[in-house]
Amino acid sequence: MEGRGRRDLNPDVVAAITRLRADNVLAGPQATLLNRVARRHLVSVRLEIRILLYAGVLLLTSGVGVLVVEHQQEIGPLAIAGALGLAAAACLVWVARQAPPFSWRAVESPNVAFDYILLLGLLLFASDLGYVEAQFTVLGPRWAHHLLIVGVVYLLAAYRWDSRAVLGLALTTLAAWRGVSVSLMSLRRGAADLGDLRTNAIVIGVLYVVLATLSVRLERKAHFEEVFGNTGLLLLLGALVSGVLGAFTWGAWLAALLAVAALVMWLSFGLGRSLYFAEGVVAAYLGLLRFLFQGPASSSSFLVAALLGIGALALIVAAHRRMVER
Amino acid sequence: MRRESVAWERAAEVREAAEGWLRAGAIGTATYDAVLNAYPDPCVTPSAVWRVLTAGMVTAVMVCTLGALWAATQPGAASLALLLFVLAAAAFMVTEYLEASPRSARRGAAGATAFWGNIFVLGGLGIFLSEAQHVDGESALDAVLLASALVWAASCWRWGSPLFAGLSAVSSFLFLSRLPLGRALWLLAGAALVGLVVRRPDDLAWAPSHRRAAMVLLVVGVAAVYGASNVYSLDQHVVEGFLKFAPPRGARPSWLMVVAAIATAVLPLAILWWGLKSRRIVLLDTGIVLLALSLVTLRHYVHVAPLWVVLTASGALLIVVALAVERALRASHGGERWGFTADPLFSDERRQQILQTVPVVAAFTPPAAPVAATDAPGFTGRGGAFGGGGASDKF
Repeated sequence: MEGRGRRDLNPDVVAAITRLRADNVLAGPQATLLNRVARRHLVSVRLEIRILLYAGVLLLTSGVGVLVVEHQQEIGPLAIAGALGLAAAACLVWVARQAPPFSWRAVESPNVAFDYILLLGLLLFASDLGYVEAQFTVLGPRWAHHLLIVGVVYLLAAYRWDSRAVLGLALTTLAAWRGVSVSLMSLRRGAADLGDLRTNAIVIGVLYVVLATLSVRLERKAHFEEVFGNTGLLLLLGALVSGVLGAFTWGAWLAALLAVAALVMWLSFGLGRSLYFAEGVVAAYLGLLRFLFQGPASSSSFLVAALLGIGALALIVAAHRRMVER
Repeated sequence: MRRESVAWERAAEVREAAEGWLRAGAIGTATYDAVLNAYPDPCVTPSAVWRVLTAGMVTAVMVCTLGALWAATQPGAASLALLLFVLAAAAFMVTEYLEASPRSARRGAAGATAFWGNIFVLGGLGIFLSEAQHVDGESALDAVLLASALVWAASCWRWGSPLFAGLSAVSSFLFLSRLPLGRALWLLAGAALVGLVVRRPDDLAWAPSHRRAAMVLLVVGVAAVYGASNVYSLDQHVVEGFLKFAPPRGARPSWLMVVAAIATAVLPLAILWWGLKSRRIVLLDTGIVLLALSLVTLRHYVHVAPLWVVLTASGALLIVVALAVERALRASHGGERWGFTADPLFSDERRQQILQTVPVVAAFTPPAAPVAATDAPGFTGRGGAFGGGGASDKF
């Protein structure tokens, strides 16, 4: 279990521990523990337990989905809605009983199952709500608002039980309520629809970026900043790239994209956020490709694209050299 | 690999391990600094984000360069093949140059240039054989697969990428499957590969990246043996599907199906047992994946229960098993049993938790509602989908 991802015997580390012990850099008990791990006498299966739990939740929710679709006539809507509600409640009650007290700082999960039972409970809740809406049309023509309810519940749960994964789900569900998902780039929708989608994506993206800033400034779950920031930038830059690639007035979109991408790169450089910087670089490059390849592809457009890539590489190397990553 | 590169890699291994020790509190800052001093690493090692970004940009530069030359010269088949070979040679030279410098060896650019160099060689060979030399498609494919196995292997040997080792092994098995008795060759070659590399991941004489490549080969070898002996693969002639002249898909002898069924059941358990016994996580993970595949195979032939029962029960079972394992390990003396623990030890828990956000969001985010949802004449089920693989978006 050496370092970030290496989880097998590492003879270089074994040799190093022996040398460091002989040089008195490592104390005896220290060397013994490190040696046990490096020699694979003690191995962690924590990641495997996490993966099994994730796969379990995935299969269970899929099974419930198939059950409802195939057998709703036989079982009856009330029984299905009741059973889903009960199962969700059981999970969430367990979570509430296990959870440590609320804090605006990062809170350690009480055990490895906590995050997954929370996820299962919330997914069952969302399924139940969706099913109730489908059967009883409580919201009528405003049925899509059930996504707003689900998103808000996810958001509250993420804050109460300090879960980045649930926060990510909340943000994408709220975006889905406004019609924004990976379908942003879909060509199946009409031009008017796409325009609305882009506007929604930009507004939500900016809102999430603002929330990322506020979470750090106000020290309210500051560790959520990465989830807010990355989701926001993906939506914002994705919408602008979509405008450059698909909109009739793509020149204006390109100008906006380049301005926003430059701002993102400049700010992320100062903040030491490499992922935000990378998102800015990729978005700007994609936008410029549209500019270069607006006509039939020629050797000069390819050449300029290659030169632009070399310029981007120089920028990346220079930024990495100077950026203090946080 | 160059001797200097191996030395840099070895130092990086120790420094990375020390980072984990420090993070877990097993050593203090003073000890950590002493380890860094004892194992100096002159290489600049950017984080994964920088490396992926750099590799992506190098890819864009190489593809656009090829596009520019192609558009400028509009070459015929032979000239295009030549152009690809020249670009490949240039890519290999750049790789050598980048690998030689500690400032550029680990930035992600060298891996990308080597990768595209190989792709250009294989593309050039394919075009040269099929278009310029008018070799028939099947023979050209054989030649490209064989060349692919050799080229990726040579690249792995020279620059040490485990990905290249995996590509070489996959190419080799695809080539073998096109020979007569391909399935038997998969079994033999897979077993031989496992036997050859099984001790290499622990071999100090090998460079760290070559040890990781050996681990990849071990997994590919096990997968090949399993793929050749799986009853579904046998029944559906999966391996034989790559053959030049596929024989008619007749029924298999019943004794062969029985043997394959037994192998499908036994192999994953044997790999799991091997993983548990040797405490090799990579084997344990492979065993779990093969076991899941065997259970899917079982479900294909034996309908023990309706799909929803199978999904729900297996999901619940997985959760129960995971919790039981965790509880058993926690309850044991010192939090460990048979050399296994549920503690994170020196891995980066924070990083794992951030990374798990991606699959959760990808799998469980509901489909987007239509933009003008309020105008819709009632619920159509699009927004209320159940999450999860295989789930429908309609009630």
